[in-house]
Amino acid sequence: MADFFSKAEVTSSGRPVLLRSEVECHLLSSVDIESEDNHHFYPLKSGLLILTTHRLLWLPSSSSSSTSSAAAIPLHAISHIFSTKKSLKSMFHSPRIRFQVLVSPDGRLFDPASGSGSSSGSGSKSIVLTAVVRGKGDCDGFLGKLWESWRARAWECNETSGSGSGSGSGTGTSTATSGGLYSSDGSVRMVGVAGILRKEQEMWESTDKSLQDAFQDLNALMSKAKEMVMLAEKMRQKLLSGSSSQTSGANDEDMGSKEEMQDWLLSVGIISPVTKESAGALYHQQLSRQLADFVRTPLQRAGGMINLIDAYCLFNRARGTELISPDDMLQACSLWEKFDVPVMLRKFDSGVMVIQNKSHSDEEVFARIKGLVTKPEALRSGISPSDAAITLGIAPAMAKEHLLTAESKGLLCRDISPDGFRFYINLFPEIDPRDVYLVKDYGICNTWIKAVSTSGLK
Amino acid sequence: MRRRPGIGGLQTAAAARDQYRLLGENVAKLRTDLMKEQLATFRSQLEEFARKHKNDIRKNPSFRSQFHEMCAKVGVDPLASNKGFWAELLGIGDFYYELGVQIVEICLATRPLNGGLIDLQELCKLLRQKRKHDREAVSEDDCLRAISKLKTLGSGFEVILAGKKKLVRSVPTELKKDHNEILELAYSTGYVTVDEVERRLTWTHGRAIDALDTLLDEGLAMIDDGHADGKHRYWFPCVSSISSFGADN
Repeated sequence: MADFFSKAEVTSSGRPVLLRSEVECHLLSSVDIESEDNHHFYPLKSGLLILTTHRLLWLPSSSSSSTSSAAAIPLHAISHIFSTKKSLKSMFHSPRIRFQVLVSPDGRLFDPASGSGSSSGSGSKSIVLTAVVRGKGDCDGFLGKLWESWRARAWECNETSGSGSGSGSGTGTSTATSGGLYSSDGSVRMVGVAGILRKEQEMWESTDKSLQDAFQDLNALMSKAKEMVMLAEKMRQKLLSGSSSQTSGANDEDMGSKEEMQDWLLSVGIISPVTKESAGALYHQQLSRQLADFVRTPLQRAGGMINLIDAYCLFNRARGTELISPDDMLQACSLWEKFDVPVMLRKFDSGVMVIQNKSHSDEEVFARIKGLVTKPEALRSGISPSDAAITLGIAPAMAKEHLLTAESKGLLCRDISPDGFRFYINLFPEIDPRDVYLVKDYGICNTWIKAVSTSGLK
Repeated sequence: MRRRPGIGGLQTAAAARDQYRLLGENVAKLRTDLMKEQLATFRSQLEEFARKHKNDIRKNPSFRSQFHEMCAKVGVDPLASNKGFWAELLGIGDFYYELGVQIVEICLATRPLNGGLIDLQELCKLLRQKRKHDREAVSEDDCLRAISKLKTLGSGFEVILAGKKKLVRSVPTELKKDHNEILELAYSTGYVTVDEVERRLTWTHGRAIDALDTLLDEGLAMIDDGHADGKHRYWFPCVSSISSFGADN
């Protein structure tokens, strides 16, 4: 009963994990999902309903996350969407979206991936689900988008393009290796050099034509988008492999464009950016979660701390045309405090803002500082911020800040001299107030006495 | 091909092989040329579409993702708004935000070379290269305006004046590693001069001055003017005490 729905995966910051080529279309908050007879599952109460091109996802709001987990309804399983009836009665209700889903014989939601109802659910029955929208979202807009996505049948394109792109990339690689002499249409291979040349020419002409067709207007491009993406991929592959195999022929310009391409490949990354249009009132909240997911990779690369402005640039690059403003970025970051995400925004006194890992922040740095100050030399003469900066591989200004925080935690003691600050390990916690002269055999105090006394003997 | 014995046969075979190879090379060259041409068309068309149909593209999420994929694959920058009347007048619209993203990107890309300090003029030049299909060239004033929009995200990005030159600093003190290199340099003698920093680390004058000034502000360095050659010496007391300590051992 509990696993009527298929499970939807969620990232650590509470964003849904989307399938390949799945795109988020619309969001509604505080939505219940009920069935008319309540036999199949416990009603899902007040969660976030997300429409994608492939699925309906229901995510529990964080407060009720303990009782139920994220659920997914493949649009494939929907057999009918009821249009809303405008009546006097409906004015007093929360808006509802009703749709019929197929149920496989074993009492679960029909799932095309499991293959349990491979006969497209002909023998299975169907039930009506109702999504009750208790929030203030744009319910009609959602219904419209649902119709659109359901009719577009993106999951079918995915299947065909799955095989199509498979063969496409197959020919791509084969052309790259064998030299692009044969087309994949299965026609009789022409023999001889002349045949090869003719084939080649035909191929170029057809590419030219499809390019021309596709870029007539926006609608043409939209309908040919899939094809064009494949063509782009093919061109990229050829250019990258081609110029490396014929290094002798590669001129500067060629290398330039190659570099440019690799550059770009790194930058675009978020297939389904959260937008104001899709998320509505939930925009900043969802943006915040998406940013938290996104920023982890660059953060790791930068060593656990990254300038907020750098992150802004990278995030926008990953979003393509869906630019966000600095204000939205800041708002998204400041919302992190409210969610359980592994990153945090940190503001320095100088006004500089950075993003850092929560785990990176203190524990790890303290452990390293402790290792540093317990070295024999440091036990004797302490460490300065610049020592810490060089050993920890961070900027002196940062190191000083870390040392002062470590001091406030009771890890270090400070000595202010004409040379500036020096920091020593704090020995006081080990001293027993009842017997101040007692030195424990295996403690930092003992090591310290040894270290200091050897230098004294010298 | 029927095998013919003798030296003559070998020579013919070799000649034939050469012919095939020559033809193959020609075809291959033709192919890359053609492809480059098509790629160029593809790119320019995509750029035009990005500019003209921005709002329509954004309305359709699944097409948008395909459009991005195309742009990414053939190397087209999808950010290509025109400045427009309102942007010029009031600074609204996406134009300056786009510019900001591109400016930060340039700074990120050149950071390994210049340590996060770039001349505004050079920045402008690189920016114009990036937006070479734009009808009107980006001015320095546009750059400054775009940078000022980034102020919301903290003071990590600023324009500083070095003499008459305007420099853009993209690495805040808290994240800057330049200082560590100077400190390392000072390890042996306890002090450095500007010349020494420039020469040994192959930095520009501006970069060296900027880093040393920050170290002075932080209280890590002290300046000494009293030397015979008249050059500033930057002493690092914290470093020299360590080195003298090392000498004791």
